[in-house]
Amino acid sequence: MSAPRSARHLWGYRALFLALCAGVMISKMLPLSLGATGLPGPDLLLALTLAWLLRQPALVPLGSILVVFLLADFLFQRPPGLWTLLVVLASESLRRRRLTMTEFTFFLEWSAFTGAVFALILLERLVLWLLMVDPAPLGLSLAHAIVTAAIYPIVVAVSKFLFGLRKIGAAQAEA
Amino acid sequence: MARDPNDQSYARPIRSLLVTVVVLALLALVLVWRIDNPRVERMRAAIIDRVVPNLEWALAPVTGMARMIDDFQSYTRLYEQNEELRRELQQMRAWREAALQLEQENARLLDLNRVRLDPELTFVTGIVMADAGSPFRRSVLINVGARDGILDGWATMDGLGVVGRISGVGDQTSRVLLLTDANSRIPVTIQPSGQQALLMGDNTQAPMLDFIEAPEDISAGDRIVTSGDDGLFPPGLLVGQVVETTDRMLRARLAADMARLNFLRVMRSHPGTTLADPGALIGPPWPPPEGFVQGSGQRRPGVAPITRPEQGGDLSQGGVLR
Repeated sequence: MSAPRSARHLWGYRALFLALCAGVMISKMLPLSLGATGLPGPDLLLALTLAWLLRQPALVPLGSILVVFLLADFLFQRPPGLWTLLVVLASESLRRRRLTMTEFTFFLEWSAFTGAVFALILLERLVLWLLMVDPAPLGLSLAHAIVTAAIYPIVVAVSKFLFGLRKIGAAQAEA
Repeated sequence: MARDPNDQSYARPIRSLLVTVVVLALLALVLVWRIDNPRVERMRAAIIDRVVPNLEWALAPVTGMARMIDDFQSYTRLYEQNEELRRELQQMRAWREAALQLEQENARLLDLNRVRLDPELTFVTGIVMADAGSPFRRSVLINVGARDGILDGWATMDGLGVVGRISGVGDQTSRVLLLTDANSRIPVTIQPSGQQALLMGDNTQAPMLDFIEAPEDISAGDRIVTSGDDGLFPPGLLVGQVVETTDRMLRARLAADMARLNFLRVMRSHPGTTLADPGALIGPPWPPPEGFVQGSGQRRPGVAPITRPEQGGDLSQGGVLR
């Protein structure tokens, strides 16, 4: 994926990312699982964003993250801005770490994602605690984090085999 | 992307500045949400209002499609579904039976609530705990007793008619002697002829009517109500209907469902007020007798001294009218 070929490619994937996020949000809003209880579903938005970010950082610019997560915050009755803020911080941190790493195996990628998810959820609880907002039960939050971490390989597989999203090396990510 | 992507020397500080601004802005948003919650929530409502109806075109068909797929999937397991429905039908039959019984009980309870009564007449409702346990005694135990102020002799009804009277009060239970018991005798009036009679239990389901003055005035189907002559039962409580048996005897078909006694109502009857006082003169207070010396000898002949009664009642107690 050289630079000249990538301009159209890049914008196409960015649009695809936004479309996928919209699809995830719409599917979450469908009134189909009103009675569902038990294990909380995975945070597909987060998995999708970080997966694409880890594999090709350029496809997920700051603006996309901002739009998608702010909208999600408002739509899903979360404290507006908080989750977006944390995701932006995590994405920047991952972006920077991505540059320094020369060897980037899938296992490393997955563990980075898992660490980010747990850090995000704990940070969110911390901020909510500081703001004196009642957070969700800890058990449910942790279950949510685990499910999200578990869904990551599936998201990667779909991205890779359905959308042809290749993992690029550190040298290319630099560009 | 207009900038040369390879030239990172000033792009990177700008980018980090941008990230910092974004982070600060988001932090400010969170803080504003926490501080001025209603305003931000209104904003959220406005955003949802703006976004969600636009998604209606996507939401509605997808929802409908998902439900259709759900429905279609159910076609593929018709057999299991049939079995399941059969099982459910079986369960529903049981429930229907229960519902019918509850409906009857409910009607009875509603009846209990709606009967118009003399406002002086209050009642205590009890639940039948046990029956007499002997084929020769017709009585039941109910779960109210002296604790609830029950007294011997009070009338007991179910939702519709008289069941019997209290005979025997314990602290928490009392026994109701049913009208069908061989020892039961209550005075009744037969409407519309107004004949007095005595309802005598004889251990059958239909107690006998006896001591009727003019049996020819009575026809089957006449209403039987309590007469209140015994001073215990309030008058006018429904007992049942007159039936004529094949041996030309008059019996009462009780209005109360004696086979299924469940909730019984004990009528608090107040002892009838009797007229012990013959009454007295009613008038304004008499003026004080002026210039009248009581006990003096200056008494006009033929005129009795008028003593001024203190109260009207004194007149009768003073023996004037006796």
